[in-house]
Amino acid sequence: MAFNYDNYLRLEKMPTLWCWGCGDGVILKAFIRAVDKLGWNKDDVCVVSGIGCSGRFSSYVDFNTIHTTHGRTVAFATGVKLANPDKHVVCVAGDGDALAIGGNHTIHGCRRNIDINFIVINNFIYGLTNSQTSPTTPQGMWTVSQKAGNIDPTFDACKLAIAAGATFVAREKVTEPRKLEKVFVEGFKHRGFSFFDILSNCHINLGRKNKMQSAMENLSWIDSITVSKKKYDEMTPDEQLNLLATGILKQDTEAREYCDMYEDIKAVQQGKRGLLTQDDFKKKI
Amino acid sequence: MSKMVAPENTPVWVNESRCKACDMCVEVCPAGVLSMRSEPSSTLGAMISIISLHACIGCNECELVCPDFAIHVADKSEYKFAKLTDEAKVRAEAIANNNYRLPENYGK
Amino acid sequence: MELREIISTGNDLAAIAAVDAGCEFFGGYPITPSSEIMHTISDLLPEMGGAAIQMEDEIAGIAAAVGAAMSGVRSLTATSGPGVSLKAENLGLAQMTEVPLVLVNVMRGGPSTGLPTRVSQGDVRQARNPSHGDYRSITLCAGNLAECYTEVVRAFNLADRFMQPVIVLTDETIGHMHGKAMIPTLEEVKKGIVPRKSFDGAPEDYRPYGVGADEAAVLNPMFKGYRYHFTGLHHDAKGFPTEEIETCRKLIQRLEDKVMMHTDEIELNEEFMLDDFDGSEGEVLIVAYGSVSLAAKEAIRHLRAEGIKAGLFRPITLWPSPAKRMGELVKATKNVLCVELNIRQYTEEVERVSGRLDLEGLYKVNGRAISPYEIVNKVKEVF
Repeated sequence: MAFNYDNYLRLEKMPTLWCWGCGDGVILKAFIRAVDKLGWNKDDVCVVSGIGCSGRFSSYVDFNTIHTTHGRTVAFATGVKLANPDKHVVCVAGDGDALAIGGNHTIHGCRRNIDINFIVINNFIYGLTNSQTSPTTPQGMWTVSQKAGNIDPTFDACKLAIAAGATFVAREKVTEPRKLEKVFVEGFKHRGFSFFDILSNCHINLGRKNKMQSAMENLSWIDSITVSKKKYDEMTPDEQLNLLATGILKQDTEAREYCDMYEDIKAVQQGKRGLLTQDDFKKKI
Repeated sequence: MSKMVAPENTPVWVNESRCKACDMCVEVCPAGVLSMRSEPSSTLGAMISIISLHACIGCNECELVCPDFAIHVADKSEYKFAKLTDEAKVRAEAIANNNYRLPENYGK
Repeated sequence: MELREIISTGNDLAAIAAVDAGCEFFGGYPITPSSEIMHTISDLLPEMGGAAIQMEDEIAGIAAAVGAAMSGVRSLTATSGPGVSLKAENLGLAQMTEVPLVLVNVMRGGPSTGLPTRVSQGDVRQARNPSHGDYRSITLCAGNLAECYTEVVRAFNLADRFMQPVIVLTDETIGHMHGKAMIPTLEEVKKGIVPRKSFDGAPEDYRPYGVGADEAAVLNPMFKGYRYHFTGLHHDAKGFPTEEIETCRKLIQRLEDKVMMHTDEIELNEEFMLDDFDGSEGEVLIVAYGSVSLAAKEAIRHLRAEGIKAGLFRPITLWPSPAKRMGELVKATKNVLCVELNIRQYTEEVERVSGRLDLEGLYKVNGRAISPYEIVNKVKEVF
């Protein structure tokens, strides 16, 4: 016996249209293993993706799937989830999708703490549109829109998610597929907004002009800029510079989930309880 | 768990119709089990090959990193995998250093 | 039809109508002059077991509403012109994926921020093609308080029949108007609900978009064993992206034909005091819609009292336009006056369907309603 991914795939869509060695496929596999481990019924899962290479993620998996407009995954998913609070909703988007055009929805999804699992495939570049600067493109790298070198400061997606109120925040990388699966399992189990910053390679559109022409070279670079949270926390700020911590960076199991809180609103409107007051909330501001 | 039946007495097997020849599985294989071969009909001119089947140690790394669902490894409970030998390690290194292809006349 | 009396505002009536029509989800964002729809429905929906959410922006408001609609529930969003501008892209996604949705646009002065607290009909042209690409908008326009209710109910049924967004235009005047409305009883509304079609065969035989050339997609609710795909890309019968030439052509042609070959199911007009029109000299046909028609009716009563034979043609479905009936009437009547709170936005459609370029018009774009006397005076001045 061996693990059978095919039970979760739309086989007529194979092979994927992703380039050879693309991390999207590694993430897709870890995602499938996590869903399998949790024993989710395929009918109970909705996968929502945005635009870009990662947008195709939803079309390959045999769940209820939506390929939405650019940047809006979390907003669409919020409608799906709030109308179906007992179902599992997973969003997938790229760094440009989640942090640039969809930044506002990312922030507010985190803030609401709605039980959506948001996988951000962060390959540091706009891949499908061919090498434009993204909010995570390192400064100094070549992009097609900044051929003289990127001057735009970068986003730390996890710091953003933590500040915005996501209650589960993790960063992992495609070079660690087992850890990837593990953070997915932990995050999917978490009731609340789970944010995953998954570092991935795009040796085609990031690597080619930045001395990382193969997947392996691109992945080695990712390994060189990451360090486990435990080690990161022991470092001085100088040592932390230009490194990203991996692992589960935040988990708050006390904060209430949005759909659960909405049940209180229903109870009020149905005359089953009095109006909510500030006393009903531990953290009010 | 979602399971598929493994071919008899086979630790690792590939689905060539899905392989895009990215070299990733060869890169991570510690035992020199996998190598690319020339394949003019493939987009990148190469295709995955299993060159040393019974050297497979069942680490599963190749399956985990294959982005294209093209490679499978049997369950440890059902197959008695080999131990990692020095010979396997040397072969793996030779392959990695030769653009992920087993050097011609290797070991002859 | 059994009616009930209700004293309310146009915006509240729209919210009540949605809930009565079986709407279970609202996603929106505050904007004058439509916000009261959100205020009211955010009380009503949770009471019924549904959900209403104020999202972070207009785009997210419609996205959440479309997401809920994709999962299978009747869903509403409400906004005003600037909000429609922002929602346009996701309206396009709903057109392309054939997801039923009702959008109420309480019109205010534009372009841009315009006159937020003042009335306008400046979004009529926008409603026809809010998003890029080929599709046919279905746009209804409420002309009085009761229609803020009945047109929203009708919009939900049309959305499920044609599997696409339906826009209901009201305006600041009618949205904030407070008064008595005679509306159908809840039983009447429930009787008239026709839910969207669904497929109940084997999941492997399900082809959500594999329908006849003039038919709407058959989209089953999510989570019921039919796992399919929505995409804004051109897609095949199963909903998956394709660039196959004939499949792409057929898809877009079907989006056109599913509406344009069935306009009889969508068209709704009011003909006010046109019974005695016989094409004789001196007859005055006024074409107006929405709240302006209230002033037009009052003007017609005055004109009739003065011996001028005036009547009103009022399209309630603006898009697709009532091309045949409106064309016939306008061709048959010498004196035609179009009255709009914009500059010729619908007049151009009246010209198109009638082939006439000599229509008189009364247009007002200063944020103030048109009074009956302005219409009376205009008629006397030009005819």
